[in-house]
Amino acid sequence: MKTTTTLRPADLAEVRDAVRDTPGRLAVAGAGTAAGWAGDLDTVDAVLDLSALSGVITHNPGDMTVSAHAGTPLRALTDELAEHGQHVSLDAARIADGATLGGLVATGDSGPSSLVYGTMRDLVIGVTVVLADGTVARSGGHVIKNVAGYDLAKLLHGSHGTLGVLTEIVLRLHPVPQRAATLVVDAPLARAAELAARVLEGPYEPVALEWISHGSGQLLVRIEGTDEALPARVQRLQEVLDGGDEAADDPWLRHAELTRGSPEAAVLRIGARPSVLPALVADVAADAATVGLGTGVATVSLPPHAVAEAHGRVHAAGGTSQLRYRPPGADAPAWGPPPSALAVLRAVKTELDPDGRFGPGRFSPWM
Amino acid sequence: MALDDRVRTAFTRVLDPKDVLSDPVKCRAYECDGLTGYRVRPDLVLLPRDAEQVAAAVRVCHEFGVPFVARGAGTGLSGGALPVADGVVISLARLKKVLAVDPVNRRAVVQPGVTNLEITAAAAPHGLYYAPDPSSQQVCTIGGNVAENSGGAHCLKYGFTTNHVLSCEVVLPDGSVVTLGTDTAEQAGPDLRGVFLGSEGTLGITTSVTVRLLRTPESVRTLLADFPSVASAGDVVSDIVSAGIVPAAVEMMDTLAIEAAEEAVHAGYTVGVPAALVVELDGPVEECDAQFELVKAICEKHGCTRLHIAGSPEERAKIWKGRKAAFAAVGRISPDYFVQDGVVPRTRLAEVLDRIAGMGTDAGLRVANVFHAGDGNLHPLVLYSAAAGETERAERLSGEIAELCVEMGGSLSGEHGIGTDKACSMPKMFGEEDLATMHRVRHAFDPDGICNPGKVLPTPRLCGERPGKYKPHPLEETGAIERL
Repeated sequence: MKTTTTLRPADLAEVRDAVRDTPGRLAVAGAGTAAGWAGDLDTVDAVLDLSALSGVITHNPGDMTVSAHAGTPLRALTDELAEHGQHVSLDAARIADGATLGGLVATGDSGPSSLVYGTMRDLVIGVTVVLADGTVARSGGHVIKNVAGYDLAKLLHGSHGTLGVLTEIVLRLHPVPQRAATLVVDAPLARAAELAARVLEGPYEPVALEWISHGSGQLLVRIEGTDEALPARVQRLQEVLDGGDEAADDPWLRHAELTRGSPEAAVLRIGARPSVLPALVADVAADAATVGLGTGVATVSLPPHAVAEAHGRVHAAGGTSQLRYRPPGADAPAWGPPPSALAVLRAVKTELDPDGRFGPGRFSPWM
Repeated sequence: MALDDRVRTAFTRVLDPKDVLSDPVKCRAYECDGLTGYRVRPDLVLLPRDAEQVAAAVRVCHEFGVPFVARGAGTGLSGGALPVADGVVISLARLKKVLAVDPVNRRAVVQPGVTNLEITAAAAPHGLYYAPDPSSQQVCTIGGNVAENSGGAHCLKYGFTTNHVLSCEVVLPDGSVVTLGTDTAEQAGPDLRGVFLGSEGTLGITTSVTVRLLRTPESVRTLLADFPSVASAGDVVSDIVSAGIVPAAVEMMDTLAIEAAEEAVHAGYTVGVPAALVVELDGPVEECDAQFELVKAICEKHGCTRLHIAGSPEERAKIWKGRKAAFAAVGRISPDYFVQDGVVPRTRLAEVLDRIAGMGTDAGLRVANVFHAGDGNLHPLVLYSAAAGETERAERLSGEIAELCVEMGGSLSGEHGIGTDKACSMPKMFGEEDLATMHRVRHAFDPDGICNPGKVLPTPRLCGERPGKYKPHPLEETGAIERL
């Protein structure tokens, strides 16, 4: 049994040298908040721990952009940005656990507010990446509107550390809203879906619209705006929802907890058209779930033995699924049937990492 | 050398022979796109009628190694649809069906030849619309929008094509058909959809696009404000942003652009003012009203000399007509012009405009400015007369302006693309390793190099580079990075 070396590069040059000078296969690690997502890692020769590659590089408040090292926990940016009334408009559950910018991009993570602000793929405007041969490549830049060259950030989004090592990330920022309000309606999933459809058909502009399996189910509707306008908007929203109270506590903490899942269950992330998602969630026999009724994205907890069948059901509904967690020792496939563009994914992998050095096993059995 | 007859015969087997144009006169209509300075007459023009025919045509190209260029409406401004000598143009003009509008899931499925505005027209009965709105939206196609990752006036708040396309059916350069993207933002694996969007037709041809539709905002408020200087108008934009307001659009025009637009469409702009801003807010009525008061106060604080608030949808449309007609209108005050598309960090707008004015004076040419002030995307229009022999000077100035934007920490292009026009400027913005990596990505999609060759990435043949000499990375020169 050989031991795996852990390397802790602290800057771009050290990352590049580590990749170039360490023979064999490498895994990239950030805060470890998604270490078990996607396929199980095969044996690697070394782990590149990027936690020392951390900190803001440039924050341009007037341009609403920030660049930071990829190992920076997103929550570490909060104070600096808040001073200028800005934030990264991403609310993925694991941000509170210290998830890094690079990790959030590599896993393609997002939270409830992706309904309006999109996922990490919509917020990243530039990246620096180190390839398996030590090439250092940049794409994008520091301006939000930019169509020069290929968008390599998109290629790294959801790549789970298999195409390159992200070292720097440039993000677009949004103003922190003056006020936000979340209305909570107790309702089972089917009823919540009806209410959500009503909200979406009207002029209410929710920034998040989620059902959570808390008690017998709750619909959470969040709106954001100005001190002046929000009270009237909350009232209008209550009218269309036939009720709903402003939460006394923070229901989004419950949402995050349910999204993480429990250590005994497998956690599956699902994307499907909003009209088919509620039935799909009911179908896969989830023990716990958060369901984006506008985004079409759900995260469900289920017994490991039910995962393979769940992949099949999601795929049959035209959806997408990936495993986020399996209990230790449990056997559950990370992926369902491969996408139609698998040949392109393989060709890209071959071009950028011909020897298969990065993240072996993450996309098993596809490649 | 022309394509041999075997190739032409192969095309006539997969398409109706009537849809394979080889008559030089007919082919001449396809020799350029909206960048008319570059012209190449294609040997053949193919007019497939459906997605299967597109794939079959590409399979023939793959089999014979024939380079192909996809074309939508030909409104592109960077020569992205410039034909390749000894190659074919594949026109998507006949694929113009709206395949589905799904109001429940707020999306539409359209063929690539559908125009940007036709998507909104199809969605409108359901209270929905397609957000990205390039100025050419009446004529430009969604296929072209996908190729260029088009923006428009409202992308400050709503983002670009990439933020609104869920998935594309794509014919790859070997003729195989795949779907890139999914029904949601969740994808199993890398975002190939996002790589394809904005790849300027170099990675394949899209035959069907699934777009997100947004609910038409409850309230829209638009104002047109005149200012004593470009700098004071710029300060207004900064103050709006630092107040935490995200307007749907903030557009600026300078004296020359206003003069041209007013002469063309009589939209009620004030001729002779140094700068005018169009500011638009949209959203729930309470938010719009509250923020609109704040915007008006900011305009007044910065010496606004006239404030016109659109009192009806018709007046709003008129203001936008003036802005969206600006490019074409410049044709009234100059026989010829080049449009630039650089981006600078918004905080450096005033500085850049000063520099551009100086560069224009030095070159002895007039420059009109129309730009998306909210996101720093400039559209300087370099006015010149080809008849007076000013073309080369104008082209040089235009290129220098794009490169100035990079020097200021921005980009060569915000929405028009690199295409043929700016491929040779790419080394100003990207280093060798960056460009080599992009080449590798391209090679993964198109190993034979037949898909819109000569666009986006510079090649020695295209740009007359002499290899071997060390060139520092552009960011190295600015001190932002250092060589390891």
